[in-house]
Amino acid sequence: MFSLFYGLWKYIFSKTEFHVLILGIDKAGKTTLLEKLKSVHSNLEGLPPDRIVPTVGLNIGRIEVANSKLVFWDLGGQPGLRSIWEKYYEEAHAVIYVIDAACPSRFEDAKSALEKVLRHDDLQGAPLLILANKQDLPDAASAEEIARYLDLKKLDERVYIFEAVSAYDGMGIKESIEWLVGVMERSKRTEMLRARAGVTGPGA
Amino acid sequence: MGIFFSKMFSSVFGNKEARILVLGLDNAGKTTILYRLQMGEVVSTIPTIGFNVETVQYNNIKFQVWDLGGQTSIRPYWRCYFPNTQAIIYVVDSSDTDRLMIAKDEFHAILEEEELRGAIVLVFANKQDLPGALDDVAVTEALELHKIKNRQWTIFKTSAIKGEGLFEGLDWLSNTLKSGGG
Repeated sequence: MFSLFYGLWKYIFSKTEFHVLILGIDKAGKTTLLEKLKSVHSNLEGLPPDRIVPTVGLNIGRIEVANSKLVFWDLGGQPGLRSIWEKYYEEAHAVIYVIDAACPSRFEDAKSALEKVLRHDDLQGAPLLILANKQDLPDAASAEEIARYLDLKKLDERVYIFEAVSAYDGMGIKESIEWLVGVMERSKRTEMLRARAGVTGPGA
Repeated sequence: MGIFFSKMFSSVFGNKEARILVLGLDNAGKTTILYRLQMGEVVSTIPTIGFNVETVQYNNIKFQVWDLGGQTSIRPYWRCYFPNTQAIIYVVDSSDTDRLMIAKDEFHAILEEEELRGAIVLVFANKQDLPGALDDVAVTEALELHKIKNRQWTIFKTSAIKGEGLFEGLDWLSNTLKSGGG
């Protein structure tokens, strides 16, 4: 009986925890973004950009925005490591896809990697935030230019947006995350993940 | 080298007591790595409870080493060494493909331990100098590192014999602990 009430209590009052994947090819700025998110949204300092090395594995950041807890999974983007991405899809509520907007020679690679992500069944309906990163650099392509280049057809009913940001100086980061939290709270995928956790979770 | 480490880790832990577990199957190269790092004298002890633990005390950090696998009767005693563990360094013999499966099972079993929940994970895909050694991506898959979702992890190709990759790994460790990883 106690566990029944406790479960109900937890269901009503606990903050929802969202898992957000940060993906993108190597050198896009994923870890710099993660560290910036930590310093903007929590009292952790975050590593300065010059101390960040290429990720081989998983970095994690936990922040709270409004009434939600966000857990970021930042995965390495080198070609050999991209096979790990899909192992994290099933439990992800949303995807942030980071693109180096100042490096046109790698747009094609970024595009095909993203298309592969979006084709995967385990990510069905996951909201997508595409970041045209490195706006602090001259010649960085705008969000519109990136959108035109990627030419994403067949996004089905997926909610998505393009934003121009700089993970280096923080430009556009807060707004982007607020958008993401908003859509995750309303998304069908969140409902689906919650239902699944309810069925298999402890106390059920 | 000692000075390098004292700079690197003193700013991470301050005066806190800290523990880093160096684990892996026998013959993975754990002790060789500790010797390579030259952080201090490696002291081998066999506690009364009967399993062999090697310890390097480095300032306020204890590096403690033992073999996983084998005797299950002594396992409960492992727990004596779990409190205050900030990180686990898991060492794998990348050329011993026959035993990678065991290495994987032992690894995930120890990650289940409640008191190690907050510890970050650094994997050394060791013995890269040997022919037939699997690379970091292959070892990642063999160990099923992707099952780790609630703590930070990374993997480095190392050769303890040649001293390659070790410092890069420890650099990651200190950076990650400093930025509040876990």
